[in-house]
Amino acid sequence: MMKLTRMLLAATALTVVALPAVASGTLTIAQRQDPQNWDPVDTFILAWGGIASNIYDGLIRRDESLKLQPGLAESWEVLDDGMRIRFMLRDGVTFHNGEPFDAEAVKYTFDRLLGEQGAQGPQQSNYTTIDRVEIVDENTIDMFMAQPDPVILTKLSGYGAMIVPPDYIEEMGEEHFNLNPVGTGPFKFVSYSQGVQIELEANPDYFEGSPELDGVVFRFIQEDSTRLAELQSGSVDILNNVAYSAIPTVEADDNLKIVSVPGPTIYSLALKSVEPALTSDVNVRRALNMAVDKQALIDAFLGGRGTPISQLQGEMSFGYVPDLEGYPYDPEQARALLQKAGVAPGTKMTIDYRSGNSTFNEVVQAMSGFFSNVGLDVGLNPMEDAVFLNEIVPQGRTNEMFQFNWGGWTFDFDNTAYLSYRDGEKWNPYGTSEEMNRLLVEGREVSDVAERESILQDIARLAHEEAYHIPLYVEDQIYAISDRVQNFTPAPDIRLRLVDVSVTD
Amino acid sequence: MPILGFIFQRVLQAIFVLIAVTLFISYAIRLTGDPAVMMLRESANVTPEDLARIREGLGLNQPFYVQYWEFISGFVTGDLGVSFFRGPIGPIVSDALGATLLLALTSLAVSLLISIPLGIYAARNRGSFGDQVIRIFSLAGLSFPNFWLGIMLILIFSVTLRWLPASGLQGPASLIMPAVTIGVILTSTNLRIVRTTMLDTLSAQFIMVARAKGLSERSVIYKHALRNSSIALVTYLGLQFGSLMGGLVVVELVFNWPGMGTLAIEAISQRDYPILQTVISILALMIVAVNLVVDFLYMALDPRIRLE
Repeated sequence: MMKLTRMLLAATALTVVALPAVASGTLTIAQRQDPQNWDPVDTFILAWGGIASNIYDGLIRRDESLKLQPGLAESWEVLDDGMRIRFMLRDGVTFHNGEPFDAEAVKYTFDRLLGEQGAQGPQQSNYTTIDRVEIVDENTIDMFMAQPDPVILTKLSGYGAMIVPPDYIEEMGEEHFNLNPVGTGPFKFVSYSQGVQIELEANPDYFEGSPELDGVVFRFIQEDSTRLAELQSGSVDILNNVAYSAIPTVEADDNLKIVSVPGPTIYSLALKSVEPALTSDVNVRRALNMAVDKQALIDAFLGGRGTPISQLQGEMSFGYVPDLEGYPYDPEQARALLQKAGVAPGTKMTIDYRSGNSTFNEVVQAMSGFFSNVGLDVGLNPMEDAVFLNEIVPQGRTNEMFQFNWGGWTFDFDNTAYLSYRDGEKWNPYGTSEEMNRLLVEGREVSDVAERESILQDIARLAHEEAYHIPLYVEDQIYAISDRVQNFTPAPDIRLRLVDVSVTD
Repeated sequence: MPILGFIFQRVLQAIFVLIAVTLFISYAIRLTGDPAVMMLRESANVTPEDLARIREGLGLNQPFYVQYWEFISGFVTGDLGVSFFRGPIGPIVSDALGATLLLALTSLAVSLLISIPLGIYAARNRGSFGDQVIRIFSLAGLSFPNFWLGIMLILIFSVTLRWLPASGLQGPASLIMPAVTIGVILTSTNLRIVRTTMLDTLSAQFIMVARAKGLSERSVIYKHALRNSSIALVTYLGLQFGSLMGGLVVVELVFNWPGMGTLAIEAISQRDYPILQTVISILALMIVAVNLVVDFLYMALDPRIRLE
């Protein structure tokens, strides 16, 4: 026994020497999800944007305050009533492999996105309003629209519209490109090991100047407590998507701090609005809204880091109605409304939800408590993602209430509203009203900014009136960072801009 | 010839197991979810046309038998195909398999190095203070949940002492904590098996004979007693190895170990059929192979066991 202990100690002592030292100037970020594929047309994961927006650029860039800035296009002009957009491209930019960036590359990118290659991935559907791209000259392109799309400029700053290198892809093949990305961004791809990490190095020729850092490593660590341990032990500098339960530990550590910013993701419960569900009665839906104390949920389960919402969008979203007050937390009135609707005390209802998110698990449990407080007997029905997204929601087979959360990365209400209120859409299997459908279609036809905003706001008001959902809260994006990290600005959309970040030793 | 016949029989068995397992898994996973939906799960504008387009791109619109045949014929010829989400499967699976084998074999080695000497000691000094301590240790080891032990090790050796990397597979140092975590759990059972079978063997007549012949105690224990009591241990090790190959998910998660268990779980949650089918087939093949090795070990350990 003693011998063994000594052996183990000796082995431990030996390995101390072998610990990897963190190179100076390299930033290490740990996150839960490995995007697994670096091709812009093949992804739809928020975490992808966080990493790949450092490798690629779009024509347009969205900054930390969600304003659109010139990216690979220096300027643009919306022409022909929104049917054509002319982009003036940046001159003298090269891809990481040395290939020049020019109008050819832009055309290639959009041909690929809208063509056969794009058809195999999830991104194409986001850009179907683009008809084609035509080259005007080496540094100018025209984007012809199939229909006006008020959100297209925002969409060009994300995901599928990232500009890719034509020669590289043609030479090396699509499969190689999936795992060995090349772009024009501030950091170059070095290596990628699935499920483990991706390593990037600074691009000294970046068009807005070389980054301060020598490189960045993104490590993929699924388990919350392990990610936290890596931060505490100093091998990781930044954690994103910090678990709420980890916040006190981080705050108690002198070398670490929490930085947060309101994010794009809203949480709510959708209500089944058709017979024979009791929630087909608008009074019942309003009563359910009044039964829930949102702020209490945020304080108890989100460590206070979230904002209650009255509509399916946060205040940064285009179409937000600032003066739309949510249903008050009023159990008395909820009970009265339920009685008026003829719902007897002890009536059973069920919430369907996705079981993967431990915070939301706690939230729905607490909600079931709120509902029992107004006399309902609400059961919980956790489900695996694939089943929930496949078999239950689109088929209209939910119970009275079901989880609805939305990562509105465009920060424009149109996307969320259309998909959740338009009849026949995946997230609206039960239908809404004629009025609602008319507004939704109208909102997509106008190109005047003010007019469009007012339509989107009407949609939000109508949805509130009809109480199709119980909007709960918008989550903060929470980062835990070590005091090595300088100049870090948290991004609401997780697309961290690391050009100005540096680390000290 | 009987040995060739035996191997032939086992190969046939392996093929049968492989087909039965993959057929069942491939069919069952297709009943429970659609990878096209999973691909678009964070997407905004999903239309039925989008889903149809992606299904066609992935070859999911073909009949099941065509999809299955493509997989199984590719698997047999070494062409593992491409994942729905992450590129060619060959390197992904071989990385995960390597990580899992490394961890499984190291943990087994750790466990044997501890459990054999301690088990023998306990058996020879039955009822002594040392025996009691060992039994308490083994009961404690069985009672710890392995994820708890893993998290404790991380807290002590990574967060507080900063001696070992908390997670990942980066150099030999990162192997220590996961291997010890699993090793402790395995040791607890193995120790009990060694102790019990050793007790039986030590009271057998042939041990008395060996001692009467004047053999050294060392030779009596390690040559005669250990060999005769290892059948149970070998059987159990075979089973343990099988469950280690795919069943380390919790430990893999805690230490962020990129192994087969995590790969399988991810493939299931994404409905990544090609990866899942490959992982399951490899696991099935390995379990069949380990059982074969165990059978041969029986024969080597006890010449009375022959092919029937």
